Amino acid sequence: MDIFGSFVLLLAFLAATYAFIGGIAGILTRRALLTKSALNAGMAVFGLVTLAVGSLEYFFFTDNFSLAYVSAHSNTALPPFYKFAALWAGQEGSLLFWSWLLSIYAFLALFLNRKKHPELMPYVGVTLAGVQIFFLTLNNFVASPFKILGGMDGSGAMHVARLSEGSGLNPLLQYPEMVIHPPMLYSGYTGFTVPFAFALAALLGRYPGEKWIHITRRWTMVAWCFQSVGILLGAHWAYAVLGWGGYWAWDPVENASFLPWITGTAFLHSVMMQEKRGMMKVWNVWLVFVTFMLCILGTMLTRSGVVSSVHAFAESSIGGWFVGFLAIIFLVCLAAWWKNRDYLRSDNQLDSLVSRESSFLFNNLILLAACFAVLWGTLFPVLSEWVTSNKISVGPPFFNKVTIPIAMFLLLLTGVGPLLAWRKTSLDALQRNFAWPLAGGVVAGAVAFAFGFRQFYPLICLILSVFVTLTILAEFYRGARVIASRDGTNLLTAVGELTMRNTRRYGGYVVHFAMVLIFIGIAGSAFNQDIQKEMGPGDTLSIGRYTILCQNFDQVSNNNYQSERATLEILRDGRSEMMLYPERRFFLASQVTETMVAVQSSPLRDLYVVYAGRSPETNKPVIHAYLNPLVKWIWFGGIVLVLGTGLALMPNRRAAIVLRPVEEPSWGDAVQGAPGSPAASPVVRRSGADD
Amino acid sequence: MISQLRKLGIVGALLAAPILLGATLTLAPSLHAQQTARAKALGSKMMCVCGCNQILTACNHVGCQYSHAMLKELDDRVARGDSDDLILQSFIQEYGATVLMEPPAKGFTWLVWIAPIVAPILAFFVIWQLVRRWRRRAVLAPAGGPALSADLLDRARRESGKESDE
Repeated sequence: MDIFGSFVLLLAFLAATYAFIGGIAGILTRRALLTKSALNAGMAVFGLVTLAVGSLEYFFFTDNFSLAYVSAHSNTALPPFYKFAALWAGQEGSLLFWSWLLSIYAFLALFLNRKKHPELMPYVGVTLAGVQIFFLTLNNFVASPFKILGGMDGSGAMHVARLSEGSGLNPLLQYPEMVIHPPMLYSGYTGFTVPFAFALAALLGRYPGEKWIHITRRWTMVAWCFQSVGILLGAHWAYAVLGWGGYWAWDPVENASFLPWITGTAFLHSVMMQEKRGMMKVWNVWLVFVTFMLCILGTMLTRSGVVSSVHAFAESSIGGWFVGFLAIIFLVCLAAWWKNRDYLRSDNQLDSLVSRESSFLFNNLILLAACFAVLWGTLFPVLSEWVTSNKISVGPPFFNKVTIPIAMFLLLLTGVGPLLAWRKTSLDALQRNFAWPLAGGVVAGAVAFAFGFRQFYPLICLILSVFVTLTILAEFYRGARVIASRDGTNLLTAVGELTMRNTRRYGGYVVHFAMVLIFIGIAGSAFNQDIQKEMGPGDTLSIGRYTILCQNFDQVSNNNYQSERATLEILRDGRSEMMLYPERRFFLASQVTETMVAVQSSPLRDLYVVYAGRSPETNKPVIHAYLNPLVKWIWFGGIVLVLGTGLALMPNRRAAIVLRPVEEPSWGDAVQGAPGSPAASPVVRRSGADD
Repeated sequence: MISQLRKLGIVGALLAAPILLGATLTLAPSLHAQQTARAKALGSKMMCVCGCNQILTACNHVGCQYSHAMLKELDDRVARGDSDDLILQSFIQEYGATVLMEPPAKGFTWLVWIAPIVAPILAFFVIWQLVRRWRRRAVLAPAGGPALSADLLDRARRESGKESDE
């Protein structure tokens, strides 16, 4: 099976190479058959990489430790659930997983559009194949997961060493979220390849209009949603597994996943300017390019050891390959843009500073500022070492100081942007739309202030969150009221009808509301408390309104691990509420100890208890308790975000059009025949009007 | 033979586990609970140097060889009455500049603080210039043709207002 795996992986590389070279030849010679065969080869890569993945999984499930990768990341006692996830536990397997997800996206993009866009698809096929070639090169020649254990003896004969037991999966990865989190994040990273391919293809082929944006809108949203979910699941994993009471540490690898999310968010907003007004064409193309390059940079940071991180794979020489690939992508994008820059000229100009267009401009500026700040802080230690030969750290305080004001401004724009009209917003409209939400925000802030809620940023966050929520509700209410009065339905039915008529717009509002929930959850961290104490049976520890009574410590064991567990009774205001069992597990195969946190979670607060180990001085068990307000809002916000994105992905329900005679004279009659009049000049309506 | 070896391995691991578990739990780091508020505040300005990228007082990284000793040293220095600056400097000397959570705003590391402020301002300026250029270009020549009646203009305003509301 190892030979089979290597063989199909090599075939996949050859197929991708053919798709690339054949595709270019097809474009240059305009031979349709050649182009078609190249596109088919691109689709075939999916089947071949799937076989390679299946082959590697076969090794895991049959406990065949003759492969170095399998023996390093699995053992016989590992539950099947985690044997499957061991595919992406290490460098080689995760790169194969990258290639596999990329091949799925490439297959779907090529297959679903096989009979459409004949001028565009050859370029798309070539771009996708180019990216696939890079990753399959790594899979085949740099970090192959099919390397066998053993070697050649003096006579040149090959000996395969088949171990009876593997080293086991990293205990930090033996957690349900780690089975879901990496696939989600990788699906986000790889998913941005499709909009990148279409953008580059449209530019290279000078494909007219905004067609590429319409084609890739859903692809981009899907990739963005995967990236969002991946980031949130990673945060939840850090919270539930690492046992430090937090969910985001501004670790370089965390930051790396955040960067393409930021630019992807900017792109999802700025494309609307191109769809509606034909503006920001250069900006949009470069946003997609940069998003894809940040995906590759993120993958590189995780794998090269350039930055130190608990999430990173072992240091390796693979970074040079990624730097080279990034340089090639940048040069190709730059050359394509330079050669075809006249194709990206704007159709329209900005009419007013108080308009939807300018709010999108500022939204993009703020998002890009956030992206730059995070990237700068992440890479500055590398730059500093390179320039001054001194190693420094750039930790969470830097990122918090820099990004929190930016985030507050973004939250403000989340409320302001949707209420501004395209082209120009009148003062009347501003007053009508903003008065009540603004008043609501200010009142909420005043009430919170009166109740002693005085921290600056949490207070600002509360005011803005109320403001944004009210603007969203007002948007739904205004639209639903019109439908309800016209159709005679109740308001709730009208809200459903309104939403389904413009899913993209109202799904977007739901996503904005999800961001409000996430912001509230993050703001709660300003009020975190924690306490650590040595405890024996009968000892108590108090935090907030909770008292933790230690009842017992015992040991639990199975084939995979042995653990020492605390039995803690949780009392709230003196009344027994529940039992918590924080553990420290010792994993037998890897000989590593990890914490298993116990959390009592409610919408208002989490009581988060860690069994921190035994004191070196007294040998008594130490319990570390945290009281973290509003954390659940973040996870709930994640669910709402997925629902909102799902809604935005749905097709619009078409409104029934009833024609009736018009009593007033038509525009055409009123101004007919006038030179330069609307009736005399062709009017180009932009498609994609749903905003 | 292989299955026997495997069984032996599992039995050996199970036997050795309680000893290793006990040893690891006893040697577990970051159990230095008795810290003063000042030590806690200073600890939050420093990073554990084990590579976990966590605040010194928050590091509970299993197997960490540093945080326990660092926290103990911090407590000792606070108890001795050393100033904040002296404590931080001594930690920098001992563990290197990476021990500081955030780089000082002087010398080369000043750049890390200034760039995230200057870059958005520059970007804002560029966008401002761009908008000004766009707006200059957007000035349209007055359209010719017959003048619209007051009724028609009124209707146009009414309809465009309705469209913006929806």
